[in-house]
Amino acid sequence: MRPHQLLLGVTLALALATASTHGFAQPARAPIEIHMWMGLTGLGGELLAKYGEEFNKAQNEFKAVVSFKGQYPEQRAAAVAAYRAGNPPHIMQMFDAGSGDMMAARGAIVPVSDVFQRAGLQFNPADFIAPARGYYGLPDGRLLSMPFNVSTTVLFYNKDAFARAALDPEKPPRTWPELIDAARKIRQANATACGYTTTWLAWVMLEQFSSRHNVPIGTQGNGRGGLNAELTFNTSRPVRMVQTLVDMQKDKSFDYGGRSNDAAAKFISGECAMLTQSSGGLGSIVRDAKFKFGVGQLPYWPDVQGAPYATTIGGASLWVFNAPTRSAAEFKGVAQFLAHLRSTPVLTDWAKRTGFLPATNAAFKAMQAEGFFKDNPGRDVPILSLIEGRQGEHTNGYRFGRWTEIRDFYHEEVERALQGQQTAQTALDNAVRRGNAALRAFERTAAPN
Amino acid sequence: MRRKVIFNNKVLPYVLVAPQLAITLVFFFWPAGQAVYMSVLQQDAFGESVRFAGLANFAYVLADPDYVKALWRTAYFSVAVTALSLVPALVLAVMADRVIRGGTVYKTIVIVPYAIAPAVAGVLWLFLFNPSVGVIAYGLRAAGVPWNPTLEGAHAMILVIIAASWKHVSYAFLFFLAGLQAIPRSLLEAAAIDGASEARRFWAIVFPLLSPTTFFLLVVGVVYAFFDTFGLIHAVTAGGPAKATEILVYKVYYDGVHALDLGGSSAQSVILMAIVIALTAIQFRYIERKVHY
Repeated sequence: MRPHQLLLGVTLALALATASTHGFAQPARAPIEIHMWMGLTGLGGELLAKYGEEFNKAQNEFKAVVSFKGQYPEQRAAAVAAYRAGNPPHIMQMFDAGSGDMMAARGAIVPVSDVFQRAGLQFNPADFIAPARGYYGLPDGRLLSMPFNVSTTVLFYNKDAFARAALDPEKPPRTWPELIDAARKIRQANATACGYTTTWLAWVMLEQFSSRHNVPIGTQGNGRGGLNAELTFNTSRPVRMVQTLVDMQKDKSFDYGGRSNDAAAKFISGECAMLTQSSGGLGSIVRDAKFKFGVGQLPYWPDVQGAPYATTIGGASLWVFNAPTRSAAEFKGVAQFLAHLRSTPVLTDWAKRTGFLPATNAAFKAMQAEGFFKDNPGRDVPILSLIEGRQGEHTNGYRFGRWTEIRDFYHEEVERALQGQQTAQTALDNAVRRGNAALRAFERTAAPN
Repeated sequence: MRRKVIFNNKVLPYVLVAPQLAITLVFFFWPAGQAVYMSVLQQDAFGESVRFAGLANFAYVLADPDYVKALWRTAYFSVAVTALSLVPALVLAVMADRVIRGGTVYKTIVIVPYAIAPAVAGVLWLFLFNPSVGVIAYGLRAAGVPWNPTLEGAHAMILVIIAASWKHVSYAFLFFLAGLQAIPRSLLEAAAIDGASEARRFWAIVFPLLSPTTFFLLVVGVVYAFFDTFGLIHAVTAGGPAKATEILVYKVYYDGVHALDLGGSSAQSVILMAIVIALTAIQFRYIERKVHY
């Protein structure tokens, strides 16, 4: 027998043996690993890891491995490198601002609707709450990514401080003029060191503001119509909003507290009496605040025609990566794990414990049915402002590439205005100019769809 | 008289340099080659659409006003860091050279910062100058300076220059000290007998004889400011506020990792490489002529 014939014989024998074991018995095969990268730490991260464990206990064909690879931007850079090396994570959690970049990378991702369909699992985009569907969906109704941690902006206020300033603690300010008035009274009575502060400046004062007043952020339907969209948010209304903050900063009725989540500490410590923050920030306020607080909707300017419109969503969604080496079995595992994450028990547990919103209508109804919103007054505020608010042309979010960078341009320019180095108009003119340069660079390098 | 060294082994020399060659290939030539290659490509982050772009990335980078600003920023940053590290290092070296008792202790104290990781050094200065808890910031405010490096670009720049210089003083100090000790005592003694004052002896004898060391440290200092300050800037300001401390190497990182503009970032790193090669060449060609070896 020649060596290669021997090899062939052995291979055949082995193949037959493998086939027979598969046919007759189910041996304890190692489960297929499904890797998910998340951008959350603390309570959110712990819960996601827990849901992964539940999934692993419920079946033994797949094993979900949920890991933290850094904050969203770092995690995305790591995923890009992994994708180029041919081995991206199966699922990646990406925050709202990174969505535009992901949507432009259509070859790198598989729409979640398709993932479910290939795995033969039922998936109806209409199960998800409407704003999330609009944000992460395609014009044909398919969902590109699966909404998971959905939030919107709300106003938290310190009821004790309101009482000290002789304001009605049961009436949160509904409009900006009301909020300004309340903040001035709080400062005059010296009820707290600062009247109002905000987290996520660009998200609240640009993105949510635009939705709340139906003002466009840019052309082409806020970037949905194509990569050649231009930013246009240096108009009178966003400018007035920034100018208001600049003016309020002078007597500390507003006090700037940093770009991301840092300002939440100013509210929790009792330094500031009001805070605009993601509804997902509720958990830490409940845990750490030593005073009574209430929740109201994001204020609006009553002189803007049609206001208040609905707020828009924030948070993050789950994206499925494509790769040449991915097997059909792996995609099946991805679909099953996603199906577990969108199940009503998981989503209601998630929403109740974190303050994020239930991503599906079924989870929302389940929470209503068990009386959660009656027992926890204020917890329905974000949902009401998101779902029951008026819908307009510009209330459905945006889709721009490099948005994380553009947010920072906005932060940098508005910070200069808050320092008195430039006017609100100049700040937004500069942010628009720099943002458009980034959009053009993105347009040049993006893959044609 | 035959003093010819005979070395017959043809293989051993190659084996001996192989590890160094391998390291240079893997950690320098390969990434540098990649950077040059990617600088002529236009591609999206995920590499879905890759096409040859010629010099378009370079044209775009050089026409970008933010890039030109970063270029000037890097120029004065490196001049400031080199000057602020070399001058104190020379002063300290001259003093340490004259210490008779306990010299080792002084030397060790000055050398210690060199052993500190850039990020740790950065955080150390960040704390000292932190507007709410920093000791120095407290002193500055007491003196009426509205110190705030998190919002004021100039303050942030001063902070990173000080931190970067401080870190480099030790390195320059070591070389100056070695240079000083290599100067023949007889020359200084002869000058002293001739009645030259201490200052005169320094400028007429010590400084010229130190010039090879000074020249070497100038080259190394500029290269240090261009590249090795990345970790420190990343830890202290992350290039902010409003890009006020974004030097070229930091912009390469930001545009590549955060903005995911790989072509533009690669073009920048190629330009950076060319700048440093050119600077070094100029220094060797022109400054070397005035150096007394």
